[in-house]
Amino acid sequence: MTDGTQDLALPPDVERELDGVAPCEIAVGVLTYNNATTVSAVAAVVRAGLERHFASASTVLINADAGSGDGTPDLLVAAGLPLVRVRHATPFAQRLAVPFHGVPGRGAALRLTFAVARRLGARGLVLLEADVTSAADEWLERLLRPVLEQKADLVVPVYARHRYDGTITNLVLAPLVRALFGRRLHQPLAGAGAFSARLLDRLLADPGWPASGHHQTDLWIEGTASADAFAVWEAWLGPRRAESRTRTSDLPTMVAQAVGGLFGVMSRYDDLWLEVRGSEPVPVAGVPVTPSGEPAALDVDRMVGGFRRGLRDLSALWEHILAPETLGDVLSLDTASPARFGFPDELWARVVYDFALGHHYNVVYRDHLLRSFVPLYLGRTAAFVVATRDRDVGAVESHLDAVGAAFELHKGYLVERWR
Amino acid sequence: MSRKPGARDWYKDAVFYEIHIKAFMDGNGDGVGDFVGLTERLDYLVELGVDCLWILPMYASPLRDDGYDIADFYAVHPAYGTLADFQKFLDAAHARDLRVITDLVVNHTSDAHPWFQASRSDPASPYADYYVWSATDRRYADARVIFVDAEKSNWTWEPGRRAYYWHRFFSHQPDLNYDNPAVSRAMLDVMRFWLDRGLDGFRCDAVPYLVEREGTSCENLPETHALLKEFRAVIDREYGGDRMLLAEANQWPEDVRPYFGDGDEFHMAFHFPLMPRLYMALRLEERRPIVDIYTHTPPIPPACQWGLFLRNHDELTLEMVTNEERAFMYYAYAQDPEMKLNLGIRRRLAPLLDNDLRRIELLNCLLLTLPGSPIIYYGDEIGMGDNVYLGDRNGVRTPMQWSSDRNAGFSTAEEGKLYLPVITDPVYGYQAVNVAAQARQPASLLATMKRLIAARRTSPGFGRGAVAFLRPRNQKILAYLRRYGRETVLIVANLSSAPQPAELDLAEFAGIRPVEILGGTVFPPIQAAPYFVSLGPHGFYWFRLERPGDADEPYGIESTAI
Repeated sequence: MTDGTQDLALPPDVERELDGVAPCEIAVGVLTYNNATTVSAVAAVVRAGLERHFASASTVLINADAGSGDGTPDLLVAAGLPLVRVRHATPFAQRLAVPFHGVPGRGAALRLTFAVARRLGARGLVLLEADVTSAADEWLERLLRPVLEQKADLVVPVYARHRYDGTITNLVLAPLVRALFGRRLHQPLAGAGAFSARLLDRLLADPGWPASGHHQTDLWIEGTASADAFAVWEAWLGPRRAESRTRTSDLPTMVAQAVGGLFGVMSRYDDLWLEVRGSEPVPVAGVPVTPSGEPAALDVDRMVGGFRRGLRDLSALWEHILAPETLGDVLSLDTASPARFGFPDELWARVVYDFALGHHYNVVYRDHLLRSFVPLYLGRTAAFVVATRDRDVGAVESHLDAVGAAFELHKGYLVERWR
Repeated sequence: MSRKPGARDWYKDAVFYEIHIKAFMDGNGDGVGDFVGLTERLDYLVELGVDCLWILPMYASPLRDDGYDIADFYAVHPAYGTLADFQKFLDAAHARDLRVITDLVVNHTSDAHPWFQASRSDPASPYADYYVWSATDRRYADARVIFVDAEKSNWTWEPGRRAYYWHRFFSHQPDLNYDNPAVSRAMLDVMRFWLDRGLDGFRCDAVPYLVEREGTSCENLPETHALLKEFRAVIDREYGGDRMLLAEANQWPEDVRPYFGDGDEFHMAFHFPLMPRLYMALRLEERRPIVDIYTHTPPIPPACQWGLFLRNHDELTLEMVTNEERAFMYYAYAQDPEMKLNLGIRRRLAPLLDNDLRRIELLNCLLLTLPGSPIIYYGDEIGMGDNVYLGDRNGVRTPMQWSSDRNAGFSTAEEGKLYLPVITDPVYGYQAVNVAAQARQPASLLATMKRLIAARRTSPGFGRGAVAFLRPRNQKILAYLRRYGRETVLIVANLSSAPQPAELDLAEFAGIRPVEILGGTVFPPIQAAPYFVSLGPHGFYWFRLERPGDADEPYGIESTAI
């Protein structure tokens, strides 16, 4: 580590890109993969945001591209910002089925972007998503200002969402992250974010950086930042609308990627969470936005039907994953009337923990394990909708907070069985 | 009171369980079942898997017609407990997500009711017109006598009033006069009293007979329907729309149909004619009686539901069969004259079927899968027997058989204090047939009932699906589809006591691999050619027919799940 620049070995093509690029105070990272239809608008937001909020700071735009075939990087050139273009490894399987975050090889892309940012001496890096069409110039300010002026090290966005958006996030990821890392993050896989130089250095120096091709990097970053007492913040942004032809929207795949990513982090980096007790809210930039309560076309009957099909088809598999008592309780859930379907928080926590343990001990082929989790997730989601759809937004927040509290309360169940 | 919110049409998915308070569990050791005892046994009912309890009349009554002769609508019969006991029971049931409906006799009262006492003795009393009085017993001559074994006329002379009073049932049950608006207001107040306590609805007794008109049968009159619609509207308006009304109208389906109105009268009504035809089809070993009665069953409004039953607290009524069919049923199921009562057979399910477990299971299979909400009569889930020598319908109202302990575990009272003796014969006696024993046997009727009820829960199609009968060449095979939304369930039943083959025309499902619901076995795929299955004696299959693309339908959360 040096005084502001990181002595990192970079691929020759990246080194060539950096030739003649002046050091900067702010780096803006955009990870891309076939985002020609949206990336120009993102570039425009970047330019406007920088001009309006950080006019005096020197800036470089870093584009890590996963091998776009639609000229995406060229469109960023046309944006007229100082630009460093890098290309990273993209696992073939991820290009065939692009992950939910839209970028094959996101871990490698992040590492390369971080390294370039530090080579250029950036004090802070803000990361934006190339297919998000609702970005506004103040997003840069809300994400970056805490890093540049308030000693934040990691700023995770919170998007204004509908109360039933992000059910994997709200019912699995957020409560699990809260219990594991002790930080109450609303949207741990938000995609965008801001990073301090201090944190980038810490991450780049870590020999345990998740291997390329996994979906673990964002969660590992949050876990590492939390465990090492970096200042983790949240920034409330506006609504997030993505327009992508490549992201997967296949529910089982999304569940497998997101939940599997977190389970993977739990296994590989258990030093980050085993000793953590309790949780705390994180500092906030911007004004918290109430989730929208507009009517949504949710099919609770179908979700409960999916859960029922799980009971019917997957009980034999679940016997290998769930503790007998947990399985017994799941089998006892009353599915007769979807409109009254319930799934207690404590049972849900045990289910998720049993799956994490099953993943850790590899009790069945992991892809089967993760996909067999989907009906349970559908059941818990249905119960969430049933419990809250006739209630106000405050009740939704309370419900989700109770889920997180249950995960926290029963963490001992997980820890006892982990060792 | 404690009530849980839920779907307004919860009754469409529910399995009902009919209970005699006096017969279920004695909590205070006086020999008569009570609400304290019933409350103790709620967990058994939860384990059985039922959703709603139907409590037979529990009101203050001289019990000359087993409580259907109500003397005080606002009080619990002292033998069954107190109003506080009832409330504790209701709250405990709701805490277990069990709903509760009670019988309510709207057509008549006991002659011991204060209304009638005032009416019979004082023509100037406010209750003088609460009943139907006449100077002659020749009015309404076209109305039939229902209890032909006990009553010769629908009119009885009352010396105190020097007039005849009208009664469609026993003479100690005078009919209320709904031409007097004060009576309907009084009945609504009765309903409010119980609904205010959290009750989930009423099974309304003898509803076709509420209003009388000269020159008619005095059954199913338009004035009666208008009155019932008024009751429904008030209850919907005042109680949020999830309280349920179930009609007892022992009529042909086309005559029962008006009791659903346009979805604005009763939520449910019993399908009386189906029940004897189930037995008939089983005895004839052919599906025709069942398919025929559904051919003559009209569609009902979407929010309405049929109530299905195999047996209940009354005799197996044969009013809704032809004379030939009745003769056949007596021959097949009631060879001992003691078994006959009125126009029916006073026997429980298991004895009717000679205690043949396979036939009992088959009829329960049909009960749980034909269109409607099934109603299980207490004790039939363990195959309890009856005692036709106890008189009237008492033979099917004996104490629940919980265990092989004294008094079948029903009561700690001296044996002689029991309201009726427990069944003790060698086949159906409590030492052979009881809950405790069957709970330990995986192949017992009780265990099978739990499995069937649980399997019924796996698809809303059973409660809500349309029915379509298949027509396999083998008449001994009853096969039908239940379709609801994207779900289709196929039921195939062998009505014969011998193994049978069946070829089913399932071409529209070609490519689908049927999944047998009870065992989870995946069967060979359906082809365009007839699908062949073979069934053991009285065997049955419940298949789920799931199209490969079904799972691809959206849940509404995919695009934003992360």
